[in-house]
Amino acid sequence: MSNSTTKSKLNKILFLGAGPNDFGIQGENDAAIYQVLPELHGHGYHVFVVDDNPYSVALESVAATTFWEPLTVTNIKKIIKDHQIDAVAPLFGGHRALRLWNQILNEWHTDDGQIPRTLGLNPAVLRESADITQLNQLLIDAGLPVIQSKIAKSQTEVNELMRSLSLPLVVRANNPVQSNTRQIVERLDDLEQVVDEVKSQSLLDEVLISKAINGMKEVSLEVLRDYRGNCLQVGASEDMDPIGIHTADSLSVSPVLTIQDRFMEQMRSYAFQVADLLQIQGALHLQFAVSEVTGKIYIIKIAPYIDQMATRMALVTGYPMLLVAMYLSLGQAFEDIVLPHNFHPKTAMMEPMMDHIAVKLPVFPFGDLHASGVEVDRNLSSIQKSVGSTIGFGRTFIEALEKAIRAAHFNNRGFSPTYMEHISDDELIQQLIHPQDNRVLLFIEAIRRGYEVDELTELSHIDAFYFYQLKHLIALEQMVEAKIDDPNMLKQAKQAGLSDGLIARFWHSDFQSIRRLARQNDIQPTYKALEPSAGEFPENAHQYYATFETEDESTPLGKDSILVVGSGAFRLGESASGGYATTIILSELRRLQYHTVAMNNNSSDATLLPHISDKQYLEPLEISDVMAVVDKEQPQAIMVPGNRKKLIKVLEELGQRVLILPREKHLANGPENHKSEFSLNFFYDGVEVYPLIVGQHRAGEMRLLNQALDIKEDLNDLNLPSPGLYQIIWRADVNEWINQVEIPDLSHDTWLRPVSYGQVAYLSKAMGIHFLRLIVRAMLDELTPRDWEMLQMISKNPPHVQQWMTKALTNYQLHLQPSGPIDTTRFEMGVKVVNDE
Amino acid sequence: MQRHLILEDGTTFVGEGFGAPATTFGEIVFQTAMTGYQESITNPIYDGQMIVFAMPVVGADGIHAEAYESVKPTIRGMVVHDLAEISTNRQRRMSLDRFLKQNNIPGLCQVDTRQLIRHLRESGPQKATIVDYVDDHARDQLAATVLTKQQVQNTATPKAYANPGRGYHIVVIDFGLKHGILRMLGDYDSNVSVLPYTTSVEEVLTLDPDGIVLSSGPGDPNSLPESVFTLIRVLQTKAPMLGIGLGHELFAMANGATLNPLVAEYHGMNHPIQEIISQEIFYAMQGRGYVVDDQTVDRKKMFVTHRDLVDQSIQGLRHRDYPAFSVQFFPDGAPGPIEPNVIFADFFETVADYVEQYN
Repeated sequence: MSNSTTKSKLNKILFLGAGPNDFGIQGENDAAIYQVLPELHGHGYHVFVVDDNPYSVALESVAATTFWEPLTVTNIKKIIKDHQIDAVAPLFGGHRALRLWNQILNEWHTDDGQIPRTLGLNPAVLRESADITQLNQLLIDAGLPVIQSKIAKSQTEVNELMRSLSLPLVVRANNPVQSNTRQIVERLDDLEQVVDEVKSQSLLDEVLISKAINGMKEVSLEVLRDYRGNCLQVGASEDMDPIGIHTADSLSVSPVLTIQDRFMEQMRSYAFQVADLLQIQGALHLQFAVSEVTGKIYIIKIAPYIDQMATRMALVTGYPMLLVAMYLSLGQAFEDIVLPHNFHPKTAMMEPMMDHIAVKLPVFPFGDLHASGVEVDRNLSSIQKSVGSTIGFGRTFIEALEKAIRAAHFNNRGFSPTYMEHISDDELIQQLIHPQDNRVLLFIEAIRRGYEVDELTELSHIDAFYFYQLKHLIALEQMVEAKIDDPNMLKQAKQAGLSDGLIARFWHSDFQSIRRLARQNDIQPTYKALEPSAGEFPENAHQYYATFETEDESTPLGKDSILVVGSGAFRLGESASGGYATTIILSELRRLQYHTVAMNNNSSDATLLPHISDKQYLEPLEISDVMAVVDKEQPQAIMVPGNRKKLIKVLEELGQRVLILPREKHLANGPENHKSEFSLNFFYDGVEVYPLIVGQHRAGEMRLLNQALDIKEDLNDLNLPSPGLYQIIWRADVNEWINQVEIPDLSHDTWLRPVSYGQVAYLSKAMGIHFLRLIVRAMLDELTPRDWEMLQMISKNPPHVQQWMTKALTNYQLHLQPSGPIDTTRFEMGVKVVNDE
Repeated sequence: MQRHLILEDGTTFVGEGFGAPATTFGEIVFQTAMTGYQESITNPIYDGQMIVFAMPVVGADGIHAEAYESVKPTIRGMVVHDLAEISTNRQRRMSLDRFLKQNNIPGLCQVDTRQLIRHLRESGPQKATIVDYVDDHARDQLAATVLTKQQVQNTATPKAYANPGRGYHIVVIDFGLKHGILRMLGDYDSNVSVLPYTTSVEEVLTLDPDGIVLSSGPGDPNSLPESVFTLIRVLQTKAPMLGIGLGHELFAMANGATLNPLVAEYHGMNHPIQEIISQEIFYAMQGRGYVVDDQTVDRKKMFVTHRDLVDQSIQGLRHRDYPAFSVQFFPDGAPGPIEPNVIFADFFETVADYVEQYN
C-alpha cells in the first residue's frame, strides 16, 4: 500500500458534518471538525465544511468556507463541483456522514466530474463496511472472533432460523435507517413483535439474528493506524454494566480496571488486525465482549469513524487524537506528524498512559419528561436511552465517580443518601435484575440493606470490584455523618470527591461553613495536569483536574484572566446548544486577547478543546468546584450561564465580577397545533436597544419574516439586566406560515425573555452576524464603531433570510417508549436548517 | 497504618501501609503501564527494587494463576496511589494485599504517586526505604544500606531443569528468567532446557541445542563474571541465539559494546519501537536501566535492528557473521503488547534454517 494522498496533490478538502443532534449524536463530530480546521488552514489547505445543524461551531470557524445547508446528495455534489473539491473527509462526521458519502459515491455519474478522494478510508472498503453482513464475513474470513448472524426477511424465515438458535437472541436491522436498532429477545413471545419493529428500521426490510451474549463484560478500544500499517492504541474503557445495556447508558471507566493484561492485549491485537483489514488511515473504535471466566472475546461493533468514544478518549488521555487522526487521513505516517509546540515532540507516536481515572456517567431525560407529565420506559436495554453524559476525573474510582455524578446533576439533590429509602424490597430486587437509571444509587441502597457483594455480582453481572468500592463509599459517608465538623473527616470526604454542599447536608450546615473549615485546616484541592505520558515527561499541559493530594501543578494564568463556566452535559431541549454558546464565547475572548480558563465536564462538545482557551479545568460545575477554581485562578471576571442562579448569587456575594449570559431552561420552540408565536428580536448592548428581525414560531420551527420593523414603543424603557439578545413574544391564532405580521402594542399581552442559545445560533447563521461575539464584546466594553454601525444598519434594514430552523425527527418511540406524546417543541433532540425553495 | 517512604535524597512521602508490615530497602523506580501489575511485581527483573505505579488504582483484578512471571516475587516494595481492596469471599482469587503479605513484601498506598514520579524522573533511581517512622535512625539505616549487586544470583536457577516438548531443543541460559519466555517457547512446542548462567560451554554443547536463548534478568550487567561473556562468544558461533533484556545487554557486551546507565530508568509499554529494515513501528513492554552505547557497537560485527523512537536507544542488535540477535524489550509481553511476539517467530525461523543446514 502506498501513500496516495500526499499534501502536494490536494488542496481543497470538504468535511461532511454529522447533522442534527440525536440519541448518540451530541456534537462530538462537530467539535472534532472544529478542532482540525485551524490546523489544516495553518498548513495552507483550503477547507470547506457542510452541515445542516444550526448548533454547529465548525460552521462558524474562520478557518473554513462553510455551508449551512441540508445534507443531501444533490447539495454536496454541487459544493464539490462548484468549488472543485479534491478530497472529502467523511470520517469526522461520524456514521451519518460516512453513510451519506457512500450514497454519493454510489450515485456518482460521469457528468458529475472527477470523484474526489475519500480521506481515511478506501471507498471499496467503505462500501463493504457499510453492510453488516459483508463486514462480518470479512472478519470471519480473517479468523477474527465475531458472532455469526443470520439474515431473515420474514417471520417464516425467523421461525426457520429458530431451529438452530436458542434464546436469548439479538435482533438487528440489516442496513438500518439509524445506527442503533439492536434489540435483545429473552422470551419467545416477544420475538414476533421485535422482528416487526426492527424490520421496519431496515432499508432492506431485513433483520439479522444472532445469539445474545448478555452478561459478558463490554470493553471499547480506540486505535489509530497510518498508511504504512503502523497502529497505536489511544485508550480503552470498560463498562460497569455487562453486555445487554447499551454502552452509552452504562457507566464506563478509563483506564480499564478489572480486566487482566492478557485479555486487553488480545483485544488490542484484534483491533489492530481489523484496522489493517479495513486499511484505515485514521481512527477506529471497536467494541468487545469479553469473559474472563471462559476466556472468550467477541468483536461486537466496529466504528471506523470519529464518534463519542473517540472524542472521549482524546479528552481523558490528553493525547491529541483528532489532530493525529486528521494527519493520518491525509496520508502522513506517525513519525512524520508535527504537533503544536505545547506537546512533547514524540507525543504523536507514544501511546498515551493515564495516571488518573475518568468515569463517564450517562444523563437520562426521564426526570425532565416526568416533570412535564410524560412517563417513559426506564428499563435500560440495548437501545440507548441517555441523551448526554458527563465525565468525572479523579485519582480513585470513587473520586471520579462522585465527580461524574455531581457533574451530571450540578448539585447533590440526586445524590442524597436518603434518595432511595422509599423503595420497597420487591422493587429493589426488580431493579437489580432489570436495570434502570440511578443504578449506582440503587446498588448503594442494596448494600445498605445488607446485600452481599457476591449476591449483587450474581444478580447484575457487574464485577465485584465496583461493589467493594461502593461499600467503601457507604462506610465513608457513615463516618462523615458521625463525625461532624471533624477536619480529618472533611479531608477524607473531599478526597473521595464529595462536594462541600453534600458534606454540608451530612452535617446540617451550609457550604460556606464547610468552606471555612476547609480553609482553616488547609484542605485545598491540588490540581493535577492531565497529560498523555503519566508523568514520564514534562509536557506543557493546559488541562487540569482537582484532587486532594500533596503537589499542585497548576499555576494561575494571571490577574487578567476570564473564567468561563460551561453548561455540562447535554439534555433534552435546546440545552444541546449550550456547548455551542460556551465555545463561541471562548473563541471570541481569545480573539480579544483575554487569557481564558474554561471549566466543563462534557467530552462531546467543543468547550474543552485545547485550542480555544489557555487553560481547561475538567471539573464538575457545582458551587464548590467553581469556587475552588476561582480561588486558584483569581480571574478578573467569571462568565456564567444565566440559569445558574444560585452560583451567580454566591459569586456576587463574594465580590466576584460575574458576567451573566442570559439563559432560560427548556424554552419551547413555538407552540404546537394551531397557534403561532411571534417574536421581535433585538440586541441590547448595555445602553441601547437595536431591534433586529421578526420571527414566527410554530411547532418546533422558527422562520424569520422579511419585513420592516414598525415599532411604536420605545424599547429602551425595558430595563434589561445585561447585554444580550432578547425577544418580545406575542401569540396569535395563526396556523400557517405568513410573510408579514403587524407588530402589536408591545406593552400588552406580550412577554420578554432572553433569546435561547439555540435561536441565537440560528439567528447568527441565518443573518450572518455572530451575535454571541457581539454580546461578549458588549459585556467587556469592546464593541467597535463598526459593530454599532452594523447594528444600526440591520435595525433599519433587516436582511432577507431564506433559511428556517426546524426540529429534526427523533425516534422517541424506539428509544423511550413514552406513555404519551412528547412535546417536541420543548424536548427536541436536534434541529436543522430548511431552505426556502 | 500510616507508614513512610524515605528517599536517599531525603525526600519523604507519607502513606498507608499494606502488604507486609516489614521495613524494606531497595532501589526505587517507576512504571507507567496501566495493566499487568501482577506480571510486573513477579518479574525477576525487579529483584531488589521497589516499583512506583503511575496507574492510580492497582489491585482491582486480584491475583491470578495465569499471571505469574515467577513463582516467588522478589521485589522489595510497591508504592501505589489507591489499592483496590477486593478481599472478602471471592472465589478463585487472591487479593494483592494478601499476596504481598504472604510474600513478605511491604506496600505503601495513598501516596501522591504523580508527585513522586515527577521527582524520580528528574533524580533517577535511588535508594529508598519504607518505614513506620521517619527519624534519624531510619535515615541512618537508609544511608548505611548497601544494595546488593547479586540480583542475578538471587533470581536465576542454581540447577538445570527441563521443560520438555516435542519440537526444537532450546537451551535457555537463565539470568532471572520470566515465565513469558518459557510460555512463548512452549507455544512452539520446544524442548527446553533451562541452565544456570554458570554453566560451562561444554555442558551446553553436550546438550546439542538447536537454539539458545539468553534470558532477561535483573541488575547491573557489569556485575556478571567474565565467564558469561566467554560462554556467549562461543555459543553464538554454535547455534542460533536470541538475547532478551539483560540477555541482549550481555550479548552486546560479549561482542565488545559497553553500556551506559540511564538517568531515569524506563519501565513502560508506550514507546514506539521501530524495526529499521521495515520501518514498522510496534510497542512492547520495556524495563531498562541501561542502554547499549551506540558509539561502542562494532559495526563490522553487529548492526542495529531496532530503535526506540522516543530516545533513539538501541533496542535490537544482530550479529553479521552468526545467526545471533537480541532485543532490549520484552518480546513475550506479559504484561504488554503481543505484537512483538513475532521476534520468537523470527528466532524459530532461524533455528529451522540452521537445523536444515546442519543436517
